[in-house]
Amino acid sequence: MALQTEAIAKSGSLSWPGLGPTARALSSRPRAVLAPLAVLIIVLALWQGLAASGAISPLILPSPTAIAGAFAIDGGNLFYHAAYTTMEALSGFVLGNLLGLALAVAFLYSDLSRRTVYPLAMAAQAVPIVAIAPALILWFGNGMAPKVFVTVFLVFFPMLVNALRGLRSADAEVMELLYTLSASPRQELVMVRLPASVPFLFNALKISACACFVAAIVAEWIAADRGLGHLIVLYGSQYRMPQVWAAVLIGTVVSMAVYGLVVLAEARLAPWLTRQRPISD
Amino acid sequence: MGSSSRSGGLTIRDVGMVYRRRDQVTTALTGCTLDIPEGGWASLIGASGCGKSTLLRILADIVKPTSGVALVGGVSPAEARSARTFALVSQQSTMLPWRKILANVELGLEVAGVDKAARRRSAEEAIELVGLKGFEQAFPSELSGGMRQRAAIARALTLKPRFLLMDEPFGALDEITREKLNFELLRILKETSATLLLVTHSISEAIILSDTVAVMSPRPGRISHRVEIGFGHDRTNAMRDDPAFGAYEAELRHALHGPASSARPASHPIPAFAIH
Ligand SMILES: Nc1ncnc2c1ncn2[C@@H]1O[C@H](COP(=O)(O)OP(=O)(O)OP(=O)(O)O)[C@@H](O)[C@H]1O
Ligand SMILES: [Mg+2]
Repeated sequence: MALQTEAIAKSGSLSWPGLGPTARALSSRPRAVLAPLAVLIIVLALWQGLAASGAISPLILPSPTAIAGAFAIDGGNLFYHAAYTTMEALSGFVLGNLLGLALAVAFLYSDLSRRTVYPLAMAAQAVPIVAIAPALILWFGNGMAPKVFVTVFLVFFPMLVNALRGLRSADAEVMELLYTLSASPRQELVMVRLPASVPFLFNALKISACACFVAAIVAEWIAADRGLGHLIVLYGSQYRMPQVWAAVLIGTVVSMAVYGLVVLAEARLAPWLTRQRPISD
Repeated sequence: MGSSSRSGGLTIRDVGMVYRRRDQVTTALTGCTLDIPEGGWASLIGASGCGKSTLLRILADIVKPTSGVALVGGVSPAEARSARTFALVSQQSTMLPWRKILANVELGLEVAGVDKAARRRSAEEAIELVGLKGFEQAFPSELSGGMRQRAAIARALTLKPRFLLMDEPFGALDEITREKLNFELLRILKETSATLLLVTHSISEAIILSDTVAVMSPRPGRISHRVEIGFGHDRTNAMRDDPAFGAYEAELRHALHGPASSARPASHPIPAFAIH
């Protein structure tokens, strides 16, 4: 469960700063995009040269052009399965994050639920979920359900931990203001606690944007007749390595796109966090 | 109505406040008594740390006094808070960072359930009054400290409170803006017959805005002097030229740093910090 521990470690180091520049880099600084692109091109060129020289067996690492060729041959198939995995991953992403947030809100208002459910949630995190995937398949069948379940499982905890922190992160002064205005608990939640937790929530969303694809693909390895995980196992057994790498590439691009959307959503939904920064530099 | 035993104004009777924090005990207030009749204007001045904010926070029901009684309009601060009879402008001029200025000024009315059109109108009016027109769509982090203070004042004014509790609301403002807002405040107080309790570090501001100036002395915090300002409620900037103004100023300056502090020690000197 390296994935989970890493996710928790990341969520622990909460970060207000450091998020803004990413959003800005995407939108308004061509250099920030061009520089890594140039590095990527150089790496690809070296890779191609290395593969062409015959120093590395194409079975171990096919050349970039061979991978591109795989898209030309099996593109339709690859995209169909990628769409299937994306559906699983995003369902898990949405459900898991909603579950995490809902639990955090419940814990905030009910001490009893926090004391009884939180330890269970933490214990659940310790369950090696992928190892019990065969059992999940027995319970939920061979379709999307067990994959979504695994994804939800890996996604909800970072959200729970971050949201719990975020919901308590409002300044004492701000809470005092709402108190002197005689605000109701619901107004306090909607007007202060949730907005104050936005940077924390996006922290969790960024962690799970990539984790949800890993979870879905790993769950597909166990048993599936569709999805990128299934495809990787299938092509792997046929030694069609360019196709395997093409599947990996699609998975990477899609999960990066989801991550990018989360970053853009943050800049859009939390302008107060980014707007005070100077545009230049 | 003002002379009944349950005054409709602000009452602080024998209030003491002791903060306990782990092994540290701070006596912030001791034996404070102050009566401000309904519609009256009073100021608190005194050295930093003498308990002015604490007194305001007791009236605003944020902290409970360890002894004595505080009444707002004849009822407890808790009742006054749920009846929304007072508004507090805190020393930090607190804003919600995720709301633009207009939405921040609307906050009080929004919490009170006033409909959108009405609260928008009140907020715009109040923003205009404090001179923040044009900054409705700015975030608090984009404003200066003085502008945030004015936004906090605007938010309090939209509530049209019977009791206005203000903690150094003009502290970060330049002299000219400050004076302008002083007289705007006087106009509003008269219009709404609101009761004012103001904390300030400026002697002249205390005179301009008060019927009574209470001088506090520190360690432990208590009200050491009370100066009645006999200017009535029709005040203009010309009051500064009145010889009485200078006399009040001198009297207050004496009360603040004059011989009183050394010649008249506290009757029961309690160390501000005692080991628990
Ligand atoms: N929450 C608290 N916990 C412990 N001590 C406190 C707390 N709030 C205030 N005090 C103490 O009470 C005393 C009075 O504080 P208060 O904030 O009322 O002073 P003040 O007169 O408003 O000062 P200033 O002019 O600097 O705002 C100080 O000694 C302070 O250390
Ligand atoms: Mg203070």
